[in-house]
Amino acid sequence: MPDLAMESVVHVYERGAVRALDGVSLRVLAGERVALVGQNGSGKTTLVRHLNGLLRPTSGRVSLDGRDTAPLRVAELARSVGLVFQDPDRQIFAGSVAAEVEFGPRNLGMRGAELRSAVDEALTAVGLSNEARTNPYDLGASRRKLLALASILAMRTPILVLDEPTTGQDERGVATVRGVIDAAHAEGRTVVAISHDMEFVAGSFDRVVVMSAGRIVGDGPPASVFAASSWEMLRSTYLEPPMAARVGERLGLGSTPTDGSLISALVRAG
Amino acid sequence: MVSTALAITLGGIWGPALLTVGAVLLPAALAGIAGRLLRTALLLTLPIAISVLVINLFFYPAGREILFAIGPVRATSEGLAFALETLARIGAISGAITLFYLTTPAGDLVLDLERRGVSPRIAFVVLAAVQTVPALVERAVAITAAQRARGLDTEGSLWRRLRGVLPLAGPVLLGSITEVEERTMALEARGFTRPGRRTLLWHPPDSSRQAAARWLLVAAIPLALVARASGWLGWLG
Amino acid sequence: MLTFELVTYRYAGAARPSLQDVSLVIGSGEVVGLVGASEAGKTTLCLVAAGLAPRTVRGTLKGRILIDGTDVAPLTIHELAGQVGIAFANPATQLSGVAGTVYEEVAFGPMNLGFSRSEVIDRTEAALGALKISDLAEREPALLSGGQQQLVAMSGLLALRPAHLVLDEPTAQLDPAGTRLVAEALARLALDGASILVAEQKTDLLASICDRVVALDAGRVALDGPAFEVLGDARLAELGVAAPASVRLRSLAGAAGPGPEALAHLDGALAMEATA
Repeated sequence: MPDLAMESVVHVYERGAVRALDGVSLRVLAGERVALVGQNGSGKTTLVRHLNGLLRPTSGRVSLDGRDTAPLRVAELARSVGLVFQDPDRQIFAGSVAAEVEFGPRNLGMRGAELRSAVDEALTAVGLSNEARTNPYDLGASRRKLLALASILAMRTPILVLDEPTTGQDERGVATVRGVIDAAHAEGRTVVAISHDMEFVAGSFDRVVVMSAGRIVGDGPPASVFAASSWEMLRSTYLEPPMAARVGERLGLGSTPTDGSLISALVRAG
Repeated sequence: MVSTALAITLGGIWGPALLTVGAVLLPAALAGIAGRLLRTALLLTLPIAISVLVINLFFYPAGREILFAIGPVRATSEGLAFALETLARIGAISGAITLFYLTTPAGDLVLDLERRGVSPRIAFVVLAAVQTVPALVERAVAITAAQRARGLDTEGSLWRRLRGVLPLAGPVLLGSITEVEERTMALEARGFTRPGRRTLLWHPPDSSRQAAARWLLVAAIPLALVARASGWLGWLG
Repeated sequence: MLTFELVTYRYAGAARPSLQDVSLVIGSGEVVGLVGASEAGKTTLCLVAAGLAPRTVRGTLKGRILIDGTDVAPLTIHELAGQVGIAFANPATQLSGVAGTVYEEVAFGPMNLGFSRSEVIDRTEAALGALKISDLAEREPALLSGGQQQLVAMSGLLALRPAHLVLDEPTAQLDPAGTRLVAEALARLALDGASILVAEQKTDLLASICDRVVALDAGRVALDGPAFEVLGDARLAELGVAAPASVRLRSLAGAAGPGPEALAHLDGALAMEATA
């Protein structure tokens, strides 16, 4: 299982002089679940697009298991890193759900029984098994988004990168995404996800990386990033800790970033 | 710029190569976009150019002087001359159109049309037409990126690129129609198709030199037609 | 005031209607939240309310929609544009595409409606200020992030100062700060007497801005009542809607069974968070 590393990565888009990434250094260990949070426009999407080579650093270095990714094509990196786009309509192109999900693993060389099981497994994970023959555009927007997730899951990459996977999902959809992350984690895969949903972040990730204006300004487990001592940093980047952390703090129960940790602290306190 | 493009297209019946250099490449180079212009124009015209060259070179009906032969087909020098002439025209036209796309923001064009009294509804149709190409390209680029992220190797040779792009034509077009529908809804909900005059906050800059250049180019069209009909300047065409 | 009378809507070619016998009144100055699972009919209700269905999206409409008591059926879409504003979830398709800067984008609607120059400028600057994006004014909309585009689209809508507002997941891609700015802007519009319908998955947001919440289930109204009642209703979970964090925490705590003193403390803390 590979480690991912970014070293002093700067990215300046061709049009527009803004430094979208302004010296980012980040190391993600194999098997970690890392949430990337930050204000709109802080550089989160730009960062994750460097992980699979869709964007290349203006300066700095991205490496996979110690090996510089600069000479590797996107198609080669796709064996290691699966990236799900924020907008499924910028990703989906096939005429049927099954064909869409097959596309990635086929490119990676899967055939026959292996391919079938990869596709079935991915469709089952997102609850679309009964829609294999459906045209993606006959699915609602939230299910198209789950289809985009399935099409990357089927590639069985050791690293999974998700750009805002829960937006537009109802409660069941969010639970599906959580299930996918839990399962990937249980298999030892690495998960990196962008999210604005702090409850989701606190509940499904081991580590929270906070971005602001192209830089990393906070990095740690949810219990420390959402603890009262970090609130000033969070608020300076216009973020808010989850409700459980705020209530836990009011009750003097210490750092309780998730519903579960708050309730057990409450029960312990009597 | 609008009229530059139109005049070159219309006037391109003679000396098109000269025109391409003088009226397309030179201004493009001055604007610092010659590289992008060449790349885009080449991509647009390559398929047509190849077919024009092959068909005329080998099958030009009036061809007599044989250059070389591959089996039963013979390449003629008349065919080659005609093909080159046609290619020069196509080059001038696609160059002019590309220059127009690269230098004229859709918004400015619409504002300018409206200022000249064109109804917003017609301006809307023009806008939709102008927007279609970049929207298609942008969407194709996004989906190709997503395909590369799923292991489709499109870097390197031209064939690899085509292999990635060709199967996209259908879905990209369909997807774009959906997007245009949504955008139309949003535009309508913001009153774009309301009859009557819109308030215009500013006008695109239009200097007297620009206007003079436009009239000069428009005047060149009938001049070109007369010159061609009378056989004067025949050495050019 | 926006009124729905027994509205049924079926998209062209669809087997079943997406809305069935929906009756609803959104009073002047009222913010009504709309919740429901994906594909329960929230977007359709928004399209129908803004008059885009069936005018732009094809389908058949039964029942009536009234604006301040007048049936909208004979009105054209641009006649409606001055009266009902709509925002969609996908910001990319809401931007006009004709504006080179954020300022022009926000000014686009007021320009279309033919207001005077000074009025257009006034509205544009106020709308940019309301969502704190004045510093983006000179940026090119197409180069902004998804969330920033959503704020620009929202700002363009505020500049129209519509008396009726229909929002389909207006904060889907927004960070918490952007979400709060949108909430504040909506509250101000409501104070000025606007009737507002907001479809949202974020029930915490609805809890903070809505007077009333309506839950849809398979195209029908399943729940309709004061926000605190509907958002605290146990049936919400069956409808596939996540309860607000405070409701969720309260019910988890109740089930876990800490002492009554701890529960009372929790209630106090939740109440303080609600007003914070």
